[in-house]
Amino acid sequence: MIPRWVSVAYLVYLAIPIALLLIGSFGDLWLNTLLPTGATLKWYREVATDPSFRRAFATSLFVAVAVCAACVVLGLPLAYAVFRTPSARVRAAARVLYQLPVALPALVLAFGFILAFSSEALPWLGSVWLLVAGHTVLGLPYFLQAVVADMQRLGLRTLEDAAESLGSTALQRFIHVVVPALRHSILSGLIVVAALSIGEFQFTNLVAGFLNRTYPVVLLQAFYGATGFACAATVILLGLALTASIAGALSAGGATRVAAANP
Amino acid sequence: MSAVSVAAKPRAWEEHASLGVSLRGARFVYPGANAGIFDVTLDIAPGELMVCIGPSGCGKTTLLKLIAGFLRLQAGTLQLGGENMAAASVRARECGVVFQSYALFPHMRVWENVAYPLRVRGVAMSERRRRAAAMLELVGLSDLAQRVPAQLSGGQQQRVALARALVFEPRALLLDEPLSALDAATRLTMRDEIRRIQKTQNIASLLITHDQDEALSLADRIAVLREGRLLQVAAPREIYDRPANAFVATFLGRANLLDATVTGRDSVRTPIGALATLAHDVAVGAKAQLLIRPERILPCSSPAPGIENILPVQLRQEHFFGASRHIELTAGGGELKIETSERGPVTHVRVPREAVQFLSPT
Repeated sequence: MIPRWVSVAYLVYLAIPIALLLIGSFGDLWLNTLLPTGATLKWYREVATDPSFRRAFATSLFVAVAVCAACVVLGLPLAYAVFRTPSARVRAAARVLYQLPVALPALVLAFGFILAFSSEALPWLGSVWLLVAGHTVLGLPYFLQAVVADMQRLGLRTLEDAAESLGSTALQRFIHVVVPALRHSILSGLIVVAALSIGEFQFTNLVAGFLNRTYPVVLLQAFYGATGFACAATVILLGLALTASIAGALSAGGATRVAAANP
Repeated sequence: MSAVSVAAKPRAWEEHASLGVSLRGARFVYPGANAGIFDVTLDIAPGELMVCIGPSGCGKTTLLKLIAGFLRLQAGTLQLGGENMAAASVRARECGVVFQSYALFPHMRVWENVAYPLRVRGVAMSERRRRAAAMLELVGLSDLAQRVPAQLSGGQQQRVALARALVFEPRALLLDEPLSALDAATRLTMRDEIRRIQKTQNIASLLITHDQDEALSLADRIAVLREGRLLQVAAPREIYDRPANAFVATFLGRANLLDATVTGRDSVRTPIGALATLAHDVAVGAKAQLLIRPERILPCSSPAPGIENILPVQLRQEHFFGASRHIELTAGGGELKIETSERGPVTHVRVPREAVQFLSPT
């Protein structure tokens, strides 16, 4: 009985802010009352027509998709290399190294980027690609974690041995066996990465140029204005995170299908 | 411990050994360890099922990996189907390997798994489907061709693995403890299945196991491996009836090993008492090691005068298995294991002369 009460209480605790956001986004006036009065869609209309919000929305989507692509291109070979390394010591060292960004505050990464990319040699601060690069550093550990764990769970080594004994070349093994066998962990890894990129604030706030601000950075300003507007803008962020996760999942699914279809 | 009956006529593999697997003077030592394979010579003829057995760590899986090409020989030669393969890649060796964990591709349907070796060889789709279907029919899984591996039982998965390993007509079939992940009942049916399929394909096969029943009942010949060296290679009956040494005697089947002193041309003294034996050529006074299989010792209820090798015994422990009883006895100053279907109490046993064998020193 008690465990059930605890879980119900926890779910309510989780749901209340989201419920209040939803209610607030449709409420007309919300001053010193428990709940807003009146119902309206005007806040959503205002957010949708606000040029800086529109631009931020597109930027966030673009960055998330680009980060997912970078994670596949960099992360898959990296995960494979870590998994196939014969020395357990090298494997452990590699794991510590690629998990490092999780332990370090994003602030540290941001300062590093600012120092490196505000110089005359590398004057790229403010570019959207720098955001992609930063988010990739932050997201890659989660991607690698998911994929390497799946490689071990599947016994990928034996699958590859089997494929090799059946006559496949290294490239055929990678395309026919490694990538498709890992498709589920690649997908779930990318969903995490996309959600992380969409919600990232700390790093982005410091590194993004004014024209390349992502949605959460722009959202912060909304809280200086009307409550209904802020609520509507936040609900959209929730929707965006959800959309990006699904898009990431679909694109990765498509990529693995294409790879598997080309022998 | 039933051996499939094997006729005593000369076998095909004795005549065409060069066409199957021929490993000569094979050596492989793991870097930084003293374990590996030392000077192993083994021939497997087309159609022959060789079972390699030994305790864990004896090098039997290493042996399989050396033939498949996952490991490279450091010395010695390997021929597969008459071609030198010691330096060839895994692909070029074209061995069908069946893994303990099945190693089916989880994202492919059953028929796609079986057709995979044909796909990488560029065989046309219609031909792939046809040959995969034929192979699935052979292993009795035609109905499950459209399933994915996760929807199959362990025994079914192992059949798919077997079909996949055979569909491309490999030079040899290598099975790495194929039955050890299965439950006891499935293991027995799969034993017969492997045997049947291997015979229809007439392919040189090496099966690795640590299960003596499996070895005795499946093999055309058994190779006993210990610490990287072959102790004996022979047909199951010969291994069981004439083991090369005490280790082979105890590893395959149950055994009474007795330290004896030779007292005459056909007699010895042992801890369980004096025994008459068949005529032997060991010098009088020499030490010898004797083997007596438990099932060859006969219980009897009283000492009958005039019958040799009757020993009074005391019961130590008894295990009842239905068809037989395994009884541990004390006799004189030693111990004796017997196996019998007799139900009555055991007060004396008779050891027939011909049941007493001299073992060569290990």
